[in-house]
This record gives sequence, C-alpha cells and structure tokens, in this order.
Amino acid sequence: MGNTSSLLLREDEIAQIQEKTGFTPNQIERLYSRFTSLDRGNCGTLSREDLLRIPELAINPLGDRIVHAFFQEGTGDSINFLQFMQVLAHFRPIKKNKDLKLNSREQKLKFAFKMYDLDSDGKISRDELLAILQMMVGSNISEEQLTSIAERTIFEADQDGDQMISFAEFCNALERTDVEQKMSIRFLN
Amino acid sequence: MRGAALAVLALAAVVAVGAANNVPHLTQNLASQRGYELVEDQSASSTEEPAGGNHKKDHDRYPVFSVEFARVETPFIIGLWIFCASLAKIGFHMTPKLSKMFPESCLLIVVGVVIGVLLFHTSSGVQVSPLTPDTFFLYLLPPIILDAGYFMPNRLFFDHLGTILLFAVVGTIFNAIAIGTSLWAVGQSGLFEFDTPILDMMLFGSLVSAVDPVAVLAVFEEIHVNEILYIVVFGESLLNDAVTVVLYHMFEAYSEMGPANILPVDVASGIASFFVVALGGTVIGVIWGFLTGFVTRFTHQVRVIEPIFIFVMAYLAYLNAEIFHMSGILAITFCGITMKNYVEANISHKSHTTVKYAMKMLSSSCETVIFMFLGVATVNNAHSWNTWFVLLTVLFCTVYRFIGVMILASLANKFRLHQLNGVEKFVMSYGGLRGAVAFALVLLIDKKIVNLQPHFVTTTIAVIYFTVFFQGITIKPLVRILNVKRAEKRKPTMNERIHEKLMDHIMAGLEDVLGRHGNYHVRDRFKRFDTKYIRPWLIRDNKGAEPKILETYSKLTMKEAMEYMRRNASTIAAFPGTESMSTLFRNCTQTNMDASFSFTQLDSSVQNLDMQELEYNPSKKDLTDAKIHHLLSEELCKPRRHRRLSYSRHAVNDRDLSTQEVNYKMHMNMRHIISGKHHHKRSKKLNKEGKPHVSFPGITQNGSVKQFTHDYINEMLEESDSNDVDEARPSTSGLNDGPEGGIVFTAKSTPTNTGPVSNSNLLTVHPGQTHQQPRPNWHLPLKQTTLSSCSSAPGVVSPHPNHNDQPTVAEASLPWRRSQHITDEAVVHTEDPHPKDPGKRSSRADSEEEAVHVTPTATETVLPWKRDDEAEQCTFPLKQQEFPGWCSNKEYLAYNSPSSTFLGGLDQPKVASVIGLFRRESTVDQEMARADAAILVIEECPASPVPSVVVCGTPPAPPKRPSSARRGSLLELGASVDPIPEEEAGTPESSANKSPPWAQRRRRKQGACSSSYEDFRSNV
Repeated sequence: MGNTSSLLLREDEIAQIQEKTGFTPNQIERLYSRFTSLDRGNCGTLSREDLLRIPELAINPLGDRIVHAFFQEGTGDSINFLQFMQVLAHFRPIKKNKDLKLNSREQKLKFAFKMYDLDSDGKISRDELLAILQMMVGSNISEEQLTSIAERTIFEADQDGDQMISFAEFCNALERTDVEQKMSIRFLN
Repeated sequence: MRGAALAVLALAAVVAVGAANNVPHLTQNLASQRGYELVEDQSASSTEEPAGGNHKKDHDRYPVFSVEFARVETPFIIGLWIFCASLAKIGFHMTPKLSKMFPESCLLIVVGVVIGVLLFHTSSGVQVSPLTPDTFFLYLLPPIILDAGYFMPNRLFFDHLGTILLFAVVGTIFNAIAIGTSLWAVGQSGLFEFDTPILDMMLFGSLVSAVDPVAVLAVFEEIHVNEILYIVVFGESLLNDAVTVVLYHMFEAYSEMGPANILPVDVASGIASFFVVALGGTVIGVIWGFLTGFVTRFTHQVRVIEPIFIFVMAYLAYLNAEIFHMSGILAITFCGITMKNYVEANISHKSHTTVKYAMKMLSSSCETVIFMFLGVATVNNAHSWNTWFVLLTVLFCTVYRFIGVMILASLANKFRLHQLNGVEKFVMSYGGLRGAVAFALVLLIDKKIVNLQPHFVTTTIAVIYFTVFFQGITIKPLVRILNVKRAEKRKPTMNERIHEKLMDHIMAGLEDVLGRHGNYHVRDRFKRFDTKYIRPWLIRDNKGAEPKILETYSKLTMKEAMEYMRRNASTIAAFPGTESMSTLFRNCTQTNMDASFSFTQLDSSVQNLDMQELEYNPSKKDLTDAKIHHLLSEELCKPRRHRRLSYSRHAVNDRDLSTQEVNYKMHMNMRHIISGKHHHKRSKKLNKEGKPHVSFPGITQNGSVKQFTHDYINEMLEESDSNDVDEARPSTSGLNDGPEGGIVFTAKSTPTNTGPVSNSNLLTVHPGQTHQQPRPNWHLPLKQTTLSSCSSAPGVVSPHPNHNDQPTVAEASLPWRRSQHITDEAVVHTEDPHPKDPGKRSSRADSEEEAVHVTPTATETVLPWKRDDEAEQCTFPLKQQEFPGWCSNKEYLAYNSPSSTFLGGLDQPKVASVIGLFRRESTVDQEMARADAAILVIEECPASPVPSVVVCGTPPAPPKRPSSARRGSLLELGASVDPIPEEEAGTPESSANKSPPWAQRRRRKQGACSSSYEDFRSNV
C-alpha cells in the first residue's frame, strides 16, 4: 500500500524538496516510501503516534523527545513529507563545497540542543538537563547523584555564571567533538 | 652521556648473559629453550653429582659453600635476558636524540643483532636464538595482545569493525595470494635459480603478508596518528591472525599432501575452517570474558587476587583457543574486550591500578624481548641469501600492500560515513609492518617438507627488517610532512560525555525512524540487552544504564578535588602532606562542608551554641589565616580542563587511576567550593552597593547573652574588617545579603544560589535566610548594623508559601540539601555528647583563662582547616556535622567504627558505601523536614521584636534523649510561636533542634538562660 503511493510524488515536488534539503532524488524516493509506510492513515502526514509506533523508537529512552523534535517547527500534530525531510536533512553528512544550511555543524548542534531545551528559552536549565539524564541513565542511580552530575555538567559549561547552558556555551563545550561525524547518517541512494 | 653509558652497560651485561647462556650450551645444547631437554640434562647432572659425591665418599662433610648453576639455569637466563633487554630500553630513553629518530623497535633489534654477533663468535656451531616459536606464541605474544584487547577503545573498534574486517580478511587473503603467485610466476622464469613450487610460495606468501600487531603497535604508539587511522591498522593487524593461521595451516597441509592429492574438498574445508577458526576463537574469547566478569563479581572479599583472574583467565582463553587450533589472538583480544567493561565495574580501584600497570609492564617487556630476540636470531649461519628472491619479496609486499589498501579503502568508503582520504590510505599502507609473528611462523615450517625453508627464514627476516627499519623510521617524518591528523587524547568532559550519549540516542532513534539497522541501531540494541540481561549477572553493584556518565563524573570530580586540595593545602601549608588520599579527603570534606552548604552551615552554627565559645576570641593569627586561605582558594582554584596531548601505551598516567566509588556529596562540595568563585564576585558587587555580605556563623549565632563577650568578638572582627575590606571578613553584619543567602564565608558562598534566575536558586536562598534571621534579634542590643538587615528580613522570607507541614521548598527541590541536613541532624542526635560534658566543662574552665585555642567550636567553624584532628577525637558535637576523613574510606565503614554512630543510629544497619548511606538517609527525611518547617514558621513572623527563639529540647524518651521527640516539640512551637518569653531569647532558635550539651550547660550555669526544657514547655 505505502509503496504505491510513493509513485505519487511528483517531479516538481522532488525538485522542491531537493532544493530545500539537499537530498538526491533517489534518496527522496526512498525516504518517501519510508514515509508512506509509516503513514498508517494514508493521509500524507505523520502524526506523533505514527512515529511512536516504531517499536525501537518507542523504547528509545529519548524517543519522545526525538519525535517531538520532528514536530517542533511544524504546525502542530502532524508533519508532511517536506517537514519530515527537513528534519532529516539535519543529519546529512557534511560535504565540502556544498554548504546547505540545514546540515551545518551549527544546525546539528542546534538539533541536539533542542533535545534538552524543552521550554525553548535558548538555555538548558538544571532541571532540563536532569530530565534528560534521568531518561538516559534510568532509575538505578539515585536522584541526588544525578542532580550533582547535572550541576557539575552545567557548572563545567557555564561561562556567564547564570547556571544555565546557553547555546553558545553548548557549542563551546562540544568544541572538540566531531559533531559532523557523530550527527550524520548515511542516507542510501 | 649517561644514557649512552647505560646502553653500553646494558650491552656488556647482555654479552655476559650471552656468555652465561653459551657455556652451558656447549654441553647442554640449548637447555634453556627446550624444557624437556633441560629436565633431562638436569636429571642427568643431578644424578651424576650425588653419584659422584655420596657413593665414593660416604661421610662427606657438610659444605659451607657450593655452586649449582644447572638447577637455576633456565629461569636465571630468562631473567637475565629480560633484565638486559629492559636495561637496554632504559638506555635508549636516556639518549633523547636516538630515541627521537628511531623507533624503539629498531634500536632493540640493533642491540639484539650486536649481541647475536658477539654470541655467534664466542660459541661456535650452536644455535643461539632463544626465540623459538613456542616461547613466542605461548609466552611472549599473549601479554601483548591482551594488553591491546583490554585497553582497546571498544567504541572506536566496533564503529570501524566493518572496515577493519575488510582489510583483515580480504586484504590479507589478497596479499597472500598475490605475493605467492607473483613469486611463483617470477620463479618460473628461473630468476631465483631454485625451484619454486606454487604451494610453498603460497605458504610463504600467507605468512609474510600478515601485518604484525607487535610491530604496528610499537610504531603507531610513537607517531600518534589520529584514532581512526590507528584503529583501522591496528585492528587489522589483530584480526588478520585468523586469516594467517588458516592460510598458513592450509598451505602447510597442502604442501604436505602434495599438489596432486588436493581435492576440491580440501579447498572447501580450508575455507570452512577459516570461519571455524575465526568465529571459534572469538566465541572462546567472549565466553572467557564473560566468565571473568562473573568471577570478579565475587572477589570483593579477597581483593588481592582480583588481578590474577584477569590475567589467568585471559591466558586460559588464549591457550584454550590454541588447543582447538583456533585463533588464539582473536580469543585473547575478544576476551579482553569483553571482560573489560564488567571487570572494571567489579574490581576495586587498587586492583584496577594493579591490572593496568601489570599489563603494561608485561606487554612492554615482552615486546622488548621479542624485538631483541629477533635481532639475536638474525645472526646465525643457516642463512641462505638469494638477492632476487629477497628483493622481489620486499617489493611485492610493499606494492601489493599499497594496491590492496587503495582498492579496499575506496570500497570501504562507499559504506563509510568518514571517508578515508588519500593521505590516510597512504599511511595505512605504509604502516603495514611485518614482525615477529611472521618470523615465528616461518620458523615453524618443517624443513623436510618445505625445502626452501632457509630461504624463507632469511627472506622473512629481510622483510621484517625492511618494514621495521625503513618504514618504521620514515613513517614519523612522513606523517609530519603529509600533515596527518594527529591524535588528541584526552579525558572527556562531563558535557562531552553526556551530550555525546544524547547524540547516540538521537542517531539510534533516527535510524529507527528511517527503518535502517545501522551502527547506532545495533549498538543501541546491544546496550539494551547488556543492561537488561548481562550486566545484572556480571556486575555486583550495577549502577544503571549509563555507567560511563557516572564514571566520567567520578573521575572529573575526583581530579578536581585532588587538584584543589593539592594546591590549597600546599600553599597554605596547613597540611604538611597531601600524598595520601585519606588526607585529601579529610581535608576537603572538612574544609568544605560547612563553608559551602547553607544548610550545613546553619546546622554548624546552631551547634556552636556551646557555652564554651563565649570565651573564644579568634586570635589575629587565626583571622589572618582565614583571610589568606580564602584568598588563596579564590585565586588558585579553577577547574581546568586537562588535555593530555600525547599518549603512550606503556605510560600509565596517575590521573587515569581515578576511583570508582565516590562520595558524591563530597564532590558536590568540592564543586561548590570551586564555584564559590562566581558567587564571590557577585558578593563583591553587593558589597559595593553597600550591602553587607559576610556573616560569621560561629560567632554570631552563639547562644549567649553575655554582651561584653560579643562586643569583644565583634571588636576583633571589626578590626580585621578594617584591615581588609574585601576578603574573608568575618563580621556579624550581613544577614540579608540578597541572593547570597546562607551564612557564608566570603570566599565560599553557598553553592547554588549564584543568581536570582532559576527557581532553585531562589529556593535555596530562603532556608539560609530563615535560619539566619533570628540572629539579628539577639544582636539587637549589640550592633546597629544588624538592625537594618534584620528589618529587611521579612521581605526576603515572605515569598515562601506554606511552610507549616511540608518540608521546606528548598528541601523538596534540592534533595541533596535535605539529606545533608538530615545527616547532620542524625549525627547530632545519635552522638549524644552528654557523657562528654564533664570534660568539656573542664576545658571550658581552662578556656576562661586562656581563651584562644582551647575551645574547639568557634575556631573550627571559622577556620575549617584547623579541624583536621577532629576525626580522631570525635568528642565535640561540632565535629559531627561534617564528614570526617574516615567516612570517605569505605573499608573503614565496614568495620565497627565510629561511623556506625555517625551514620545516625546504632539500630540502623551499617551501610557499605557512603552513597548508599546518603540514599538511606534521604528516606528518613520527612521527620526532619517537619522540623524544618517549624523553623520556617518561626521565621515567618519575624517582625515581632521578640526574638523568635525556640528552645527545642523537650525532655524526650530517656535513652535517646535528644532526637525525635524534641523535634516534635519544635513543631508545636512552630505553630504557636509568639508568646515566647523574653528570657528564652538568649537561645537561638534554630539551635533548638540541635545539640543538647549547650542546653544543659546553660541550665546549670546561666541565670538569664536558666530556663530548663520544662520551663520552656510550660511557657509555650
């Protein structure tokens, strides 16, 4: 069912997506078939439930946040294929001499940053960090340890002394990390 | 010069060894290398001697002195070899020029050759090479590979496993076949002047094509190329062992059978045996790895033998694989890789250090011995040199290596995110060094079956020398010229660790969204499986899903603590020695506990109500000390990122040896102290605005109405203020220092409340404020400055919602505070200082005369580092509120120690770790929280001129007088605060829930404050 609808992607749509995201037409076709297979309702959009239905994603400790990230710039409860692709475009590997905005190092960092920044105030507060830590570490570590870890982390990155990690501080903290590699994925052609 | 001298010395010694080695050889023929021969010889000689001695002379006198070299010969010579090799190694490192230019492996080979020449000429006709294939494979190789596997960067290795396998399997097979057929083809032309059967050539090709892990390690460790390059080449050299073993055995068997008898079945079974050998070795290794993890799970009672399990079981894995002709190298590599994570979580810190050092030591010395033996083995008269054969082999090895790498790398790039660029490809091919494995294998060839074996030996040596010398020496400058990305080894920071984990999860999630099963997906899956099923079985103290985060945290905090203490302690010179961990811990706990925690501080100040401190006046010296201390801690302490720029496999950095179990609370404190710097800046600002900011808990809160005493203290303090306006000013003035809150020394203000920004900050401020607030009340008559601050107090307090029945907001939101607080309380209550009163009183009598240092409480509060002797004494109530040095010592807790009382109750079970302790105590919280609520209530009506003071000790249950009942009464008081009689004013409120001694003494001593608990109750 899903795969047949991939034929419905028109040339101009592909061109438009390619222009906006930098994916090749082949990749777009491929991803579109994935998109439609996720789209249970065949309505051309994905809802949160559609994504959360992926079994592995459901048990991913950050699954909710990741799904949430797909819907941040969208219009609410559903995303269309273009929006879907725009999120995925963050993870395209960086190629020299092709600079698209979406997959720059900064954009990748921004994506990670948004994982923390729930209230999107541009800063990671202690509680936000703690929430992520709890999701990742699980319940075996006592809260106070986690809290001290969170505080330690913030203290380490905090440069202006506001007990929060701003995006600039976040980037600084990850200065030596190969974000380009770590947050890239090879999209099949 | 010294280095050269040492090298010469080493040489001389080695020659001496050689001589010692050879003298017996003349008669015993290599006894040292062949165990069984030795046994025969020994038995022969030992039977001879008694025969000669006993039977001829029946009554031989007991000899004063006798020589028996034969008995110890083998171990003695082995020992001497190792000793001399290591000595030579030291020599190189003392000649920096030499070791800069040449890799160590080259120098060792040269030394080996020199020794070999000397030995060759001193002893004629004896094969002097001690490097037999069996010694090599059974004793020298395993430690090196174990070291490589155990310290393998797992993540990196598995990230690039695909590429590594491609090179190790396909690359090696390609090289073997290409070299073999090329040599055979050339041989057909008659250039070599000897017959070159195809199978023999293939056999030779297969053993000479394998990249050698020992040589690669030795060279790559020194050039520090980036980690991807390193792991690909090194991983290849490890994993190609299976291929080499299979190819070698296959062609050996084929040439035994003869080309005519080979059926397709043999070829097929050869291919099948590859999978058996490779997978079998891996599986054996993994199983032994898990077993090791499982065994170390139970070793916590016998820590000393922990390391031996790691070594022995890994070695057993190796031998086990060898039994079945599987790849031993694969087995021990995977054993190391598998066991590492589990073992590290189980073994103690000391064992970890031991394992690390022992492994490095073993592998390093084995490597040294191997290279030296390689040199020694070169010199013999069994060589049969064929120039064309040697030259062409070297050429083919190099060329096919390059071709293979280029092809395979571009193939791998199709599947790789990180593209291997040209320079990297070049370094990868250039780094394909051959080494001792090939040599050992070539020695194993049976001369009777393969006639060309002498040629092979010579050629193999030539290839090894070419790669090790030519490539090994030139690779360093080449890497520099080609500007290869260098490795940057460093410890991850907290942020990197956490954010990278987050990225992993994101990527795994993304792969799921895309419906692909890539690296992240597989890893994610394994981690889930690991956490769910494996870890609970193999790890004693399972810490949850992300042990790495914890580990990083512990390491970093520990490092900071050490750093901080080292700096401060040494500059202050208050602690003579900071070497021992226990000292460090004690120091930092003591220095920090009351300085950084507002709650703690409150408690401490509360306890200072001891009457004795009334007589205390801090001497000038103490105050200056305090000043210096604060200054220093401010100026000197910064958490710094340490970058280790270079990494050597054989260098064990002390910084790596961080602990596994950490007192988290203490770390928090450390951090808070360190972060105190920020606060301090702020507080300075406040100061400029005219707000007083420093309070002096120990003195301001003491429970006295002796105004003149106070005046005296205040005088003293003001004096110090005038001397130095900005730092560490212990004045009673500033109570409402805005965001600063809490009772603080300037240098170390309360930790969390740096800014008014976050909720938690606001919250933490208040408890501190509330506790402080009563203070001004009894200072009213004394100081004008306090008045103003007092009046502003209510404003600060008011934002609190309902305090009555709930834990304070701060406590609710900041659990660590709560537990801290409770710990303190528990300490105070359980350690009823009652019996010690007499002693104290007497000391007080003393103190009345010379009032300076006798009273511990105030001094100690003011100058925390003065307190280092307290851990031993444990007599004063004050001391209980912080964690003395021994409390960080886990082993100490296990025994019957003051900790049992310290931890808050004899009836409570002893806890194994400090962490557990905290956790437990935080559950006890509710009660405590209520007590706090009471305090808050009191502070809510501060406007009343009457000091809202609560004497909290209603006489409780007889045996454990001070604790819970008293707290209950406090609650009542909180509900009905106002009508507290004037006379009670003398006692500070918050002290109420604290130490009984002052109360008692007060009752006995003072008129004004004489009201007993009962009086007080009736008043209420």
